[in-house]
Amino acid sequence: MSRRETPLLPTTDAREAALFFVIGALCFLAALAALTTRGTYKAAEAWGAQIEGDITVVMRDTDRRTAEDAAERVGNLATVFEARILSREEVEALLEPSLGPGGMPDGLPVPMLMVVQADPSVGDPSPDIERILGEVGIDGDVAGNAGYADNVRGALGVLRLVALSIVALLSATAIAVIAFATHAALLARRDIVDVLHLSGAEDRYIAGLFERRFWVLALQAGLGGAVAALMITALIVFTGGGSNSVEIQLLPRLSLDFWDIVILLVTPIAAGLAARIAARLTVLASLKDTL
Amino acid sequence: MSRFRPDLSDEPSVRLDGVSLTYDRTGEVLSEIDLVLRQGSFTFLTGPSGAGKSSLLKLLYLAHAPTRGNIRLFGRQTFELKRKQLAAIRRRIGVVFQEFRLLDHLTAFENVALPLRVAGQKQDAYSNEVIDLLRWVGLGERVDAPIPSLSGGEQQRVAIARALINKPDLLIADEPTGNVDPEMARKILRLFAELNKRVGTTILIATHDLELLREFESPVLRLSNGLLVRDVEYGADA
Repeated sequence: MSRRETPLLPTTDAREAALFFVIGALCFLAALAALTTRGTYKAAEAWGAQIEGDITVVMRDTDRRTAEDAAERVGNLATVFEARILSREEVEALLEPSLGPGGMPDGLPVPMLMVVQADPSVGDPSPDIERILGEVGIDGDVAGNAGYADNVRGALGVLRLVALSIVALLSATAIAVIAFATHAALLARRDIVDVLHLSGAEDRYIAGLFERRFWVLALQAGLGGAVAALMITALIVFTGGGSNSVEIQLLPRLSLDFWDIVILLVTPIAAGLAARIAARLTVLASLKDTL
Repeated sequence: MSRFRPDLSDEPSVRLDGVSLTYDRTGEVLSEIDLVLRQGSFTFLTGPSGAGKSSLLKLLYLAHAPTRGNIRLFGRQTFELKRKQLAAIRRRIGVVFQEFRLLDHLTAFENVALPLRVAGQKQDAYSNEVIDLLRWVGLGERVDAPIPSLSGGEQQRVAIARALINKPDLLIADEPTGNVDPEMARKILRLFAELNKRVGTTILIATHDLELLREFESPVLRLSNGLLVRDVEYGADA
Protein backbone atom coordinates (compact mmCIF):
# COMPACT_ATOMS: atom_id res chain seq x y z
CA MET A 1 0.00 0.00 0.00
CA SER A 2 1.38 3.41 -0.95
CA ARG A 3 2.07 5.91 1.78
CA ARG A 4 0.85 9.47 1.49
CA GLU A 5 3.92 11.47 0.47
CA THR A 6 4.75 14.39 2.74
CA PRO A 7 5.79 17.46 0.74
CA LEU A 8 9.57 17.86 0.74
CA LEU A 9 9.16 21.38 2.13
CA PRO A 10 7.45 21.70 5.53
CA THR A 11 3.86 22.89 5.15
CA THR A 12 3.76 25.00 8.30
CA ASP A 13 6.39 27.46 9.37
CA ALA A 14 6.08 30.55 11.57
CA ARG A 15 8.49 32.42 9.29
CA GLU A 16 6.13 31.84 6.39
CA ALA A 17 3.20 33.16 8.42
CA ALA A 18 5.08 36.45 8.72
CA LEU A 19 5.85 36.40 5.00
CA PHE A 20 2.18 35.69 4.28
CA PHE A 21 1.16 38.74 6.31
CA VAL A 22 3.75 41.00 4.65
CA ILE A 23 2.69 39.97 1.14
CA GLY A 24 -1.01 40.27 2.00
CA ALA A 25 -0.58 43.76 3.47
CA LEU A 26 1.52 44.98 0.54
CA CYS A 27 -0.94 43.61 -1.99
CA PHE A 28 -3.78 45.31 -0.11
CA LEU A 29 -1.96 48.66 -0.27
CA ALA A 30 -0.91 48.22 -3.89
CA ALA A 31 -4.40 47.21 -5.02
CA LEU A 32 -6.00 50.07 -3.12
CA ALA A 33 -3.46 52.51 -4.57
CA ALA A 34 -4.13 51.23 -8.08
CA LEU A 35 -7.89 51.49 -7.63
CA THR A 36 -7.55 54.97 -6.15
CA THR A 37 -5.31 56.06 -9.01
CA ARG A 38 -7.86 54.84 -11.51
CA GLY A 39 -10.55 56.65 -9.55
CA THR A 40 -8.42 59.80 -9.61
CA TYR A 41 -8.10 59.50 -13.39
CA LYS A 42 -11.84 59.12 -13.78
CA ALA A 43 -12.62 62.00 -11.41
CA ALA A 44 -10.09 64.25 -13.14
CA GLU A 45 -11.52 63.37 -16.52
CA ALA A 46 -15.09 64.03 -15.45
CA TRP A 47 -14.21 67.21 -13.60
CA GLY A 48 -12.14 68.54 -16.49
CA ALA A 49 -14.89 67.80 -19.01
CA GLN A 50 -17.48 69.48 -16.80
CA ILE A 51 -15.41 72.63 -16.31
CA GLU A 52 -14.56 72.92 -19.96
CA GLY A 53 -18.18 72.37 -20.98
CA ASP A 54 -19.84 74.79 -18.55
CA ILE A 55 -20.76 78.18 -20.02
CA THR A 56 -22.69 80.92 -18.23
CA VAL A 57 -24.49 83.66 -20.15
CA VAL A 58 -25.37 86.87 -18.29
CA MET A 59 -28.27 88.68 -19.97
CA ARG A 60 -29.11 92.30 -19.14
CA ASP A 61 -32.31 94.28 -19.67
CA THR A 62 -34.41 91.48 -21.05
CA ASP A 63 -37.57 89.66 -20.12
CA ARG A 64 -37.81 85.99 -19.25
CA ARG A 65 -39.71 85.04 -22.45
CA THR A 66 -36.98 86.44 -24.76
CA ALA A 67 -34.34 84.80 -22.61
CA GLU A 68 -36.07 81.41 -22.82
CA ASP A 69 -36.38 81.82 -26.59
CA ALA A 70 -32.63 82.40 -26.76
CA ALA A 71 -32.00 79.37 -24.50
CA GLU A 72 -34.10 77.17 -26.78
CA ARG A 73 -32.10 78.25 -29.84
CA VAL A 74 -28.80 77.76 -28.00
CA GLY A 75 -29.98 74.32 -26.86
CA ASN A 76 -30.48 73.35 -30.51
CA LEU A 77 -26.84 73.95 -31.37
CA ALA A 78 -24.95 70.76 -32.27
CA THR A 79 -22.20 71.56 -29.77
CA VAL A 80 -24.62 72.01 -26.84
CA PHE A 81 -26.17 69.32 -24.63
CA GLU A 82 -28.44 71.59 -22.66
CA ALA A 83 -29.23 75.30 -22.18
CA ARG A 84 -31.67 76.68 -19.66
CA ILE A 85 -32.52 79.88 -17.81
CA LEU A 86 -32.00 79.77 -14.05
CA SER A 87 -35.04 80.53 -11.91
CA ARG A 88 -34.92 83.45 -9.45
CA GLU A 89 -34.62 80.92 -6.59
CA GLU A 90 -31.57 79.33 -8.24
CA VAL A 91 -29.95 82.74 -8.76
CA GLU A 92 -30.66 83.64 -5.14
CA ALA A 93 -29.07 80.38 -4.06
CA LEU A 94 -25.99 81.24 -6.08
CA LEU A 95 -25.77 84.65 -4.39
CA GLU A 96 -26.46 83.29 -0.91
CA PRO A 97 -22.78 82.76 0.01
CA SER A 98 -22.24 86.53 -0.57
CA LEU A 99 -25.50 87.98 0.71
CA GLY A 100 -26.43 85.43 3.37
CA PRO A 101 -29.71 83.50 3.64
CA GLY A 102 -32.65 85.74 2.68
CA GLY A 103 -30.25 88.63 2.22
CA MET A 104 -31.40 89.44 -1.30
CA PRO A 105 -33.39 92.75 -1.26
CA ASP A 106 -36.83 92.33 -2.90
CA GLY A 107 -36.41 95.14 -5.38
CA LEU A 108 -32.86 94.30 -6.44
CA PRO A 109 -32.70 93.73 -10.19
CA VAL A 110 -31.28 90.29 -10.85
CA PRO A 111 -29.76 89.55 -14.26
CA MET A 112 -31.08 86.59 -16.23
CA LEU A 113 -28.59 83.76 -16.25
CA MET A 114 -28.43 81.05 -18.87
CA VAL A 115 -26.38 77.97 -18.07
CA VAL A 116 -25.12 76.04 -21.06
CA GLN A 117 -23.69 72.54 -20.89
CA ALA A 118 -21.61 72.12 -24.02
CA ASP A 119 -19.60 69.26 -25.44
CA PRO A 120 -15.98 70.52 -25.26
CA SER A 121 -14.77 67.73 -27.51
CA VAL A 122 -16.80 69.09 -30.46
CA GLY A 123 -15.79 72.73 -30.18
CA ASP A 124 -16.39 76.03 -28.43
CA PRO A 125 -20.03 77.18 -28.95
CA SER A 126 -19.39 80.72 -27.57
CA PRO A 127 -19.38 82.49 -31.01
CA ASP A 128 -22.68 80.80 -31.92
CA ILE A 129 -24.22 81.79 -28.58
CA GLU A 130 -23.12 85.43 -29.08
CA ARG A 131 -24.63 85.34 -32.56
CA ILE A 132 -27.97 84.04 -31.22
CA LEU A 133 -28.02 86.68 -28.47
CA GLY A 134 -27.53 89.36 -31.13
CA GLU A 135 -30.30 87.89 -33.32
CA VAL A 136 -32.86 87.94 -30.48
CA GLY A 137 -31.67 91.38 -29.34
CA ILE A 138 -30.21 90.53 -25.97
CA ASP A 139 -27.30 92.44 -24.45
CA GLY A 140 -25.32 89.72 -22.77
CA ASP A 141 -21.90 88.31 -21.93
CA VAL A 142 -20.83 84.74 -22.64
CA ALA A 143 -18.56 83.53 -19.86
CA GLY A 144 -16.95 80.22 -20.74
CA ASN A 145 -14.22 78.41 -18.81
CA ALA A 146 -11.99 78.07 -21.83
CA GLY A 147 -9.84 80.87 -20.51
CA TYR A 148 -8.58 78.84 -17.63
CA ALA A 149 -9.32 75.35 -19.01
CA ASP A 150 -5.63 74.99 -19.95
CA ASN A 151 -4.66 75.71 -16.36
CA VAL A 152 -7.23 73.16 -15.16
CA ARG A 153 -5.96 70.60 -17.67
CA GLY A 154 -2.39 71.21 -16.48
CA ALA A 155 -3.38 70.81 -12.83
CA LEU A 156 -5.29 67.59 -13.59
CA GLY A 157 -2.30 66.28 -15.54
CA VAL A 158 -0.07 66.84 -12.52
CA LEU A 159 -2.67 65.14 -10.32
CA ARG A 160 -2.73 62.12 -12.62
CA LEU A 161 1.06 62.00 -12.74
CA VAL A 162 1.33 62.12 -8.96
CA ALA A 163 -1.28 59.36 -8.58
CA LEU A 164 0.46 57.23 -11.19
CA SER A 165 3.85 57.79 -9.54
CA ILE A 166 2.45 56.75 -6.17
CA VAL A 167 1.02 53.51 -7.55
CA ALA A 168 4.21 52.78 -9.51
CA LEU A 169 6.38 53.44 -6.45
CA LEU A 170 4.14 51.37 -4.19
CA SER A 171 4.02 48.49 -6.68
CA ALA A 172 7.79 48.54 -7.11
CA THR A 173 8.26 48.66 -3.34
CA ALA A 174 5.80 45.80 -2.88
CA ILE A 175 7.61 43.66 -5.44
CA ALA A 176 11.01 44.47 -3.92
CA VAL A 177 9.85 43.73 -0.37
CA ILE A 178 8.16 40.49 -1.46
CA ALA A 179 11.34 39.43 -3.24
CA PHE A 180 13.49 40.33 -0.23
CA ALA A 181 11.16 38.64 2.27
CA THR A 182 11.03 35.53 0.09
CA HIS A 183 14.82 35.55 -0.10
CA ALA A 184 15.09 35.81 3.70
CA ALA A 185 12.50 33.07 4.30
CA LEU A 186 14.29 30.82 1.87
CA LEU A 187 17.72 31.32 3.38
CA ALA A 188 16.26 29.95 6.60
CA ARG A 189 15.60 26.74 4.64
CA ARG A 190 19.19 26.39 3.55
CA ASP A 191 19.44 23.10 5.44
CA ILE A 192 16.77 21.54 3.24
CA VAL A 193 18.42 22.86 0.09
CA ASP A 194 21.70 21.26 1.20
CA VAL A 195 20.16 17.88 2.01
CA LEU A 196 18.31 17.72 -1.30
CA HIS A 197 21.44 18.86 -3.15
CA LEU A 198 23.64 16.25 -1.51
CA SER A 199 20.99 13.59 -2.10
CA GLY A 200 21.55 14.08 -5.81
CA ALA A 201 18.67 16.43 -6.66
CA GLU A 202 19.36 18.62 -9.66
CA ASP A 203 19.36 22.40 -9.23
CA ARG A 204 16.21 22.71 -11.34
CA TYR A 205 14.37 20.19 -9.16
CA ILE A 206 15.24 22.01 -5.93
CA ALA A 207 14.47 25.44 -7.40
CA GLY A 208 11.15 24.09 -8.69
CA LEU A 209 10.12 22.95 -5.21
CA PHE A 210 10.73 26.37 -3.71
CA GLU A 211 9.30 28.22 -6.69
CA ARG A 212 6.00 26.35 -6.47
CA ARG A 213 5.86 26.76 -2.71
CA PHE A 214 6.43 30.53 -2.69
CA TRP A 215 4.25 31.06 -5.78
CA VAL A 216 1.27 29.47 -4.01
CA LEU A 217 2.02 31.26 -0.74
CA ALA A 218 2.28 34.68 -2.41
CA LEU A 219 -0.75 34.00 -4.58
CA GLN A 220 -2.86 33.16 -1.52
CA ALA A 221 -1.55 36.11 0.47
CA GLY A 222 -2.00 38.44 -2.50
CA LEU A 223 -5.53 37.20 -2.99
CA GLY A 224 -6.24 37.94 0.67
CA GLY A 225 -4.87 41.48 0.24
CA ALA A 226 -6.87 42.01 -2.97
CA VAL A 227 -10.08 40.79 -1.32
CA ALA A 228 -9.49 43.19 1.58
CA ALA A 229 -8.99 46.02 -0.94
CA LEU A 230 -12.17 44.94 -2.74
CA MET A 231 -14.13 45.07 0.52
CA ILE A 232 -12.83 48.53 1.42
CA THR A 233 -13.59 49.81 -2.09
CA ALA A 234 -17.08 48.28 -2.01
CA LEU A 235 -17.66 49.93 1.36
CA ILE A 236 -16.63 53.34 -0.03
CA VAL A 237 -18.65 52.90 -3.23
CA PHE A 238 -21.83 51.79 -1.46
CA THR A 239 -21.69 54.25 1.42
CA GLY A 240 -20.40 57.48 -0.12
CA GLY A 241 -19.58 56.98 -3.75
CA GLY A 242 -23.05 57.91 -5.00
CA SER A 243 -23.08 61.44 -3.61
CA ASN A 244 -22.90 64.25 -6.13
CA SER A 245 -21.84 66.97 -3.73
CA VAL A 246 -19.05 69.24 -4.97
CA GLU A 247 -16.64 67.89 -2.31
CA ILE A 248 -17.21 64.29 -3.35
CA GLN A 249 -16.82 65.17 -7.03
CA LEU A 250 -13.29 66.35 -6.36
CA LEU A 251 -12.34 63.04 -4.68
CA PRO A 252 -11.20 59.92 -6.59
CA ARG A 253 -14.23 58.18 -8.08
CA LEU A 254 -13.98 54.62 -6.78
CA SER A 255 -16.03 52.07 -8.64
CA LEU A 256 -16.04 48.35 -9.23
CA ASP A 257 -16.13 47.91 -12.97
CA PHE A 258 -14.35 45.42 -15.23
CA TRP A 259 -10.93 47.11 -15.08
CA ASP A 260 -11.08 47.41 -11.29
CA ILE A 261 -11.65 43.66 -11.09
CA VAL A 262 -8.72 43.16 -13.47
CA ILE A 263 -6.53 45.23 -11.10
CA LEU A 264 -7.65 43.09 -8.15
CA LEU A 265 -6.88 39.88 -10.06
CA VAL A 266 -3.51 41.04 -11.39
CA THR A 267 -2.26 42.11 -7.93
CA PRO A 268 -1.92 38.58 -6.44
CA ILE A 269 -0.52 37.22 -9.70
CA ALA A 270 2.18 39.91 -9.69
CA ALA A 271 2.96 39.09 -6.06
CA GLY A 272 3.13 35.38 -6.88
CA LEU A 273 5.46 35.98 -9.80
CA ALA A 274 7.73 38.22 -7.71
CA ALA A 275 7.97 35.55 -4.99
CA ARG A 276 8.47 32.81 -7.54
CA ILE A 277 11.28 34.58 -9.36
CA ALA A 278 12.91 35.56 -6.05
CA ALA A 279 12.73 31.94 -4.86
CA ARG A 280 14.30 30.65 -8.06
CA LEU A 281 17.12 33.19 -8.06
CA THR A 282 17.83 32.65 -4.35
CA VAL A 283 17.98 28.85 -4.63
CA LEU A 284 20.13 28.92 -7.74
CA ALA A 285 22.44 31.52 -6.17
CA SER A 286 22.81 29.49 -2.97
CA LEU A 287 23.52 26.34 -4.99
CA LYS A 288 26.15 28.21 -6.98
CA ASP A 289 28.07 28.48 -3.70
CA THR A 290 28.36 24.71 -3.67
CA LEU A 291 30.03 22.53 -6.21
CA MET B 1 16.65 7.26 -14.97
CA SER B 2 19.99 6.38 -16.61
CA ARG B 3 23.09 6.79 -14.47
CA PHE B 4 26.39 8.20 -15.55
CA ARG B 5 28.83 5.26 -15.51
CA PRO B 6 31.95 5.64 -17.63
CA ASP B 7 33.59 2.37 -18.57
CA LEU B 8 36.86 2.89 -16.74
CA SER B 9 37.43 -0.33 -14.86
CA ASP B 10 41.02 0.53 -13.97
CA GLU B 11 40.18 4.00 -12.77
CA PRO B 12 40.18 4.43 -9.01
CA SER B 13 36.88 5.57 -7.50
CA VAL B 14 38.65 8.54 -5.96
CA ARG B 15 41.83 10.31 -6.93
CA LEU B 16 43.05 13.52 -5.35
CA ASP B 17 46.12 15.28 -6.72
CA GLY B 18 47.62 18.15 -4.74
CA VAL B 19 44.28 19.11 -3.25
CA SER B 20 44.16 22.02 -0.82
CA LEU B 21 41.17 23.66 0.81
CA THR B 22 41.14 27.10 2.37
CA TYR B 23 38.25 28.64 4.28
CA ASP B 24 38.00 32.42 4.50
CA ARG B 25 37.77 32.42 8.28
CA THR B 26 40.05 29.60 9.34
CA GLY B 27 42.62 29.59 6.59
CA GLU B 28 44.01 26.45 4.98
CA VAL B 29 42.45 23.29 6.42
CA LEU B 30 43.82 20.79 3.89
CA SER B 31 47.25 20.99 2.29
CA GLU B 32 48.44 19.26 -0.87
CA ILE B 33 46.47 16.05 -0.35
CA ASP B 34 47.28 13.19 -2.70
CA LEU B 35 44.94 10.26 -2.29
CA VAL B 36 43.80 7.24 -4.26
CA LEU B 37 40.89 5.00 -3.31
CA ARG B 38 40.67 2.00 -5.61
CA GLN B 39 37.29 0.64 -6.60
CA GLY B 40 36.11 -1.76 -3.91
CA SER B 41 38.51 -0.51 -1.25
CA PHE B 42 37.56 -0.22 2.41
CA THR B 43 39.43 2.55 4.19
CA PHE B 44 39.32 4.30 7.51
CA LEU B 45 40.20 7.96 7.92
CA THR B 46 41.27 9.08 11.34
CA GLY B 47 42.97 11.95 13.06
CA PRO B 48 42.41 14.37 15.92
CA SER B 49 39.52 16.83 15.99
CA GLY B 50 40.20 19.75 13.66
CA ALA B 51 42.64 17.74 11.56
CA GLY B 52 40.46 18.23 8.47
CA LYS B 53 38.63 14.89 8.26
CA SER B 54 35.19 16.39 7.68
CA SER B 55 36.62 18.91 5.21
CA LEU B 56 38.25 16.12 3.22
CA LEU B 57 34.97 14.19 3.18
CA LYS B 58 33.10 17.33 2.03
CA LEU B 59 35.42 17.55 -0.95
CA LEU B 60 34.73 13.91 -1.75
CA TYR B 61 30.95 14.15 -1.58
CA LEU B 62 31.13 17.34 -3.66
CA ALA B 63 29.88 19.80 -1.07
CA HIS B 64 32.85 22.06 -1.80
CA ALA B 65 35.32 22.59 -4.58
CA PRO B 66 38.99 22.48 -3.65
CA THR B 67 40.95 25.71 -3.53
CA ARG B 68 43.78 24.02 -5.43
CA GLY B 69 44.39 20.66 -7.01
CA ASN B 70 42.28 18.13 -8.91
CA ILE B 71 39.66 15.67 -7.80
CA ARG B 72 38.71 12.73 -10.02
CA LEU B 73 35.64 10.71 -9.08
CA PHE B 74 34.83 7.54 -11.05
CA GLY B 75 37.31 8.61 -13.70
CA ARG B 76 35.97 12.13 -14.23
CA GLN B 77 37.61 15.43 -13.34
CA THR B 78 34.99 17.09 -11.17
CA PHE B 79 35.82 20.62 -12.30
CA GLU B 80 35.04 19.62 -15.88
CA LEU B 81 31.56 18.38 -15.07
CA LYS B 82 28.40 20.34 -15.62
CA ARG B 83 26.01 20.75 -12.69
CA LYS B 84 23.64 18.10 -14.05
CA GLN B 85 26.54 15.65 -14.31
CA LEU B 86 27.62 16.53 -10.77
CA ALA B 87 24.11 15.67 -9.55
CA ALA B 88 24.40 12.32 -11.33
CA ILE B 89 27.77 11.71 -9.62
CA ARG B 90 26.26 12.58 -6.23
CA ARG B 91 23.64 9.90 -6.75
CA ARG B 92 26.50 7.38 -6.93
CA ILE B 93 27.77 8.53 -3.55
CA GLY B 94 26.11 7.62 -0.27
CA VAL B 95 26.92 9.91 2.63
CA VAL B 96 26.40 9.40 6.36
CA PHE B 97 26.77 12.83 7.90
CA GLN B 98 28.11 13.30 11.40
CA GLU B 99 25.10 15.49 12.25
CA PHE B 100 22.73 13.13 10.33
CA ARG B 101 21.10 15.91 8.26
CA LEU B 102 17.67 14.33 8.32
CA LEU B 103 14.57 16.32 7.40
CA ASP B 104 12.54 16.59 10.59
CA HIS B 105 9.17 16.99 8.92
CA LEU B 106 9.53 13.70 7.06
CA THR B 107 9.18 10.19 8.47
CA ALA B 108 12.00 7.67 8.75
CA PHE B 109 10.67 6.00 5.58
CA GLU B 110 10.61 9.27 3.65
CA ASN B 111 14.10 10.28 4.76
CA VAL B 112 15.53 6.96 3.63
CA ALA B 113 13.66 7.21 0.32
CA LEU B 114 14.81 10.77 -0.32
CA PRO B 115 17.63 10.00 -2.81
CA LEU B 116 15.23 7.84 -4.84
CA ARG B 117 12.43 10.39 -4.67
CA VAL B 118 14.59 13.28 -5.89
CA ALA B 119 15.80 11.03 -8.71
CA GLY B 120 12.19 10.78 -9.88
CA GLN B 121 11.41 7.21 -8.82
CA LYS B 122 7.85 6.28 -7.82
CA GLN B 123 7.12 5.12 -4.31
CA ASP B 124 5.66 1.80 -5.47
CA ALA B 125 9.02 0.92 -7.01
CA TYR B 126 11.09 1.46 -3.87
CA SER B 127 8.70 0.99 -0.96
CA ASN B 128 9.65 -2.60 -0.09
CA GLU B 129 13.34 -1.90 -0.45
CA VAL B 130 13.15 1.03 1.96
CA ILE B 131 11.20 -0.98 4.53
CA ASP B 132 13.64 -3.92 4.26
CA LEU B 133 16.59 -1.60 4.84
CA LEU B 134 14.91 0.03 7.82
CA ARG B 135 14.21 -3.44 9.23
CA TRP B 136 17.83 -4.36 8.76
CA VAL B 137 19.06 -1.36 10.75
CA GLY B 138 16.60 -2.31 13.49
CA LEU B 139 13.92 0.26 12.76
CA GLY B 140 11.25 -2.05 11.35
CA GLU B 141 8.81 -0.84 13.98
CA ARG B 142 9.60 2.85 13.40
CA VAL B 143 9.14 3.04 9.65
CA ASP B 144 6.53 5.81 9.81
CA ALA B 145 7.92 7.55 12.87
CA PRO B 146 8.63 11.26 12.58
CA ILE B 147 12.34 12.05 12.99
CA PRO B 148 12.01 14.14 16.19
CA SER B 149 10.45 11.12 17.93
CA LEU B 150 13.56 8.99 17.29
CA SER B 151 16.56 8.77 19.61
CA GLY B 152 20.01 9.91 18.45
CA GLY B 153 21.01 6.33 17.71
CA GLU B 154 17.84 5.68 15.76
CA GLN B 155 18.35 8.85 13.75
CA GLN B 156 21.87 7.74 12.95
CA ARG B 157 20.55 4.43 11.65
CA VAL B 158 18.02 6.27 9.47
CA ALA B 159 20.91 8.35 8.09
CA ILE B 160 22.86 5.17 7.35
CA ALA B 161 19.87 3.59 5.61
CA ARG B 162 19.48 6.73 3.49
CA ALA B 163 23.13 6.54 2.47
CA LEU B 164 22.74 2.91 1.41
CA ILE B 165 19.35 3.00 -0.34
CA ASN B 166 20.83 4.08 -3.66
CA LYS B 167 23.33 1.15 -3.64
CA PRO B 168 26.13 3.69 -3.95
CA ASP B 169 29.44 3.04 -5.68
CA LEU B 170 31.17 5.13 -3.03
CA LEU B 171 30.06 5.29 0.59
CA ILE B 172 31.43 8.10 2.74
CA ALA B 173 30.63 8.03 6.44
CA ASP B 174 31.60 10.68 8.97
CA GLU B 175 31.65 9.12 12.44
CA PRO B 176 28.83 6.69 11.56
CA THR B 177 28.98 4.90 14.89
CA GLY B 178 29.23 7.94 17.11
CA ASN B 179 25.71 7.72 18.51
CA VAL B 180 25.06 3.98 18.65
CA ASP B 181 25.95 1.34 21.19
CA PRO B 182 29.01 -0.89 20.54
CA GLU B 183 26.86 -3.77 19.34
CA MET B 184 25.04 -1.60 16.79
CA ALA B 185 28.38 -0.04 15.82
CA ARG B 186 29.78 -3.45 14.94
CA LYS B 187 26.58 -4.35 13.12
CA ILE B 188 26.77 -1.21 11.04
CA LEU B 189 30.41 -1.74 10.15
CA ARG B 190 29.73 -5.38 9.32
CA LEU B 191 27.02 -4.14 6.92
CA PHE B 192 29.52 -1.77 5.34
CA ALA B 193 32.03 -4.60 5.04
CA GLU B 194 29.41 -6.87 3.48
CA LEU B 195 28.46 -4.15 1.02
CA ASN B 196 32.11 -3.72 0.19
CA LYS B 197 32.68 -7.41 -0.41
CA ARG B 198 29.46 -8.38 -2.18
CA VAL B 199 28.74 -5.29 -4.27
CA GLY B 200 32.23 -3.82 -4.47
CA THR B 201 31.22 -0.51 -2.95
CA THR B 202 34.20 1.71 -2.20
CA ILE B 203 33.99 2.75 1.43
CA LEU B 204 35.68 5.55 3.36
CA ILE B 205 34.86 5.92 7.03
CA ALA B 206 36.06 8.73 9.26
CA THR B 207 36.17 7.61 12.86
CA HIS B 208 37.75 8.19 16.25
CA ASP B 209 36.95 4.66 17.40
CA LEU B 210 40.36 2.98 17.63
CA GLU B 211 38.83 -0.29 18.82
CA LEU B 212 36.84 -0.58 15.62
CA LEU B 213 39.94 0.25 13.58
CA ARG B 214 41.78 -2.64 15.20
CA GLU B 215 38.85 -5.00 14.79
CA PHE B 216 38.36 -4.43 11.07
CA GLU B 217 42.01 -4.41 10.08
CA SER B 218 41.47 -2.18 7.10
CA PRO B 219 43.93 0.43 5.85
CA VAL B 220 43.92 3.64 7.80
CA LEU B 221 44.63 7.15 6.54
CA ARG B 222 45.65 9.69 9.16
CA LEU B 223 45.15 13.40 8.88
CA SER B 224 47.04 15.83 11.04
CA ASN B 225 46.82 19.61 10.71
CA GLY B 226 45.44 19.33 7.21
CA LEU B 227 48.20 17.01 6.04
CA LEU B 228 47.69 13.39 5.04
CA VAL B 229 50.48 11.74 6.98
CA ARG B 230 49.89 8.28 5.65
CA ASP B 231 48.58 7.52 2.21
CA VAL B 232 48.62 3.93 1.22
CA GLU B 233 47.45 2.93 -2.20
CA TYR B 234 45.50 -0.24 -1.90
CA GLY B 235 42.27 -1.80 -2.90
CA ALA B 236 43.22 -4.01 -5.81
CA ASP B 237 43.44 -6.84 -3.34
CA ALA B 238 41.03 -5.46 -0.77
